Amino acid sequence: MFLITCPYCGTRDQSEFSNAGEAHVARPEKPEDLSDEEWADFVFLRNNPKGLFAERWIHTAGCRRFFNMLRNTATDEILAVYKVGETPPRVSTAEPATPSGEAPIGSGNDAVKVERPEGGE
Amino acid sequence: MSEIRRRTPLHTRKPLEAPGGAARIAELPFLGKLVLRVDPQAGSKAVEAATGVPLPAEACTATGDADTAILWIGPDEFWVITPRDGETAAAAALEQGLAGLHHQVADIGSYYTAIEIAGPRAREMLMKLTMLDVDARAFSAGQVAGSIFAAAQAYLWQVTGDDQPGGPAFRLFVRRSMADYMWCLLAEAGFEWGMPRQTPVGGETWRLER
Repeated sequence: MFLITCPYCGTRDQSEFSNAGEAHVARPEKPEDLSDEEWADFVFLRNNPKGLFAERWIHTAGCRRFFNMLRNTATDEILAVYKVGETPPRVSTAEPATPSGEAPIGSGNDAVKVERPEGGE
Repeated sequence: MSEIRRRTPLHTRKPLEAPGGAARIAELPFLGKLVLRVDPQAGSKAVEAATGVPLPAEACTATGDADTAILWIGPDEFWVITPRDGETAAAAALEQGLAGLHHQVADIGSYYTAIEIAGPRAREMLMKLTMLDVDARAFSAGQVAGSIFAAAQAYLWQVTGDDQPGGPAFRLFVRRSMADYMWCLLAEAGFEWGMPRQTPVGGETWRLER
């Protein structure tokens, strides 16, 4: 259960929202000049980091507008929400420990296995 | 010439009331509903001249009264609610007033229907169905929100305040295919206060109360 703050409507329950994949994927200006590999990269390949990630979300049940979110995929902490077209704000978050601190496969909660920044928190 | 007949999505349902006026639900048939897409800064004067109601300045609010109102749906999307059979004239006036501006007016009157939920217990009935914060401190008269009610997406508008005699009145705009489902669930939500249960046309079974 999460609360997500829509930049237009305010804070609402997560069930009203849908994820729409990675944000800031720019369409190539001249698609006709791309090789098949480059085009496939644009169409299909997305980053899937453990840690800070910029995503698009849409407020499906409310105002039906897309917006961007900076989220820590390891802890599910929502760090910033901003409108489409705006520059992502600078944020800092606890980075997941990889690879030595990686939780073993199937161990469950990855959220507890994060490294805190030096001197922080 | 054959007789022209039209039926609301809830034409088989009669208004329901819980004993003592705790809550009541009724369909408001054939309300005019228009979607208006326009840049609010550019089009506000023309819209006010055409409908007599200003565009809502704040997100998630409504302007106007119970008869003619404009609901904020998105940053450049509004619903114009008109009395029964008033949507054609309203759409024509909007088209005329907004001529030359980038805009869209679409009639969605038969796509959605409105269910009025009123009474002192109306708020608590809605709380059983949605994750939206409908507490009186968070949701008051003149506010509008799109959210999920049970399994259906709908727009909720609080028309009159809690200080009114007979309690607050809400309107829930629900798609016609979900209208019967929503009606039966609202009746089920009011069962605690004596509202009669309704049998869903689709044959679903549920019990909010044990």
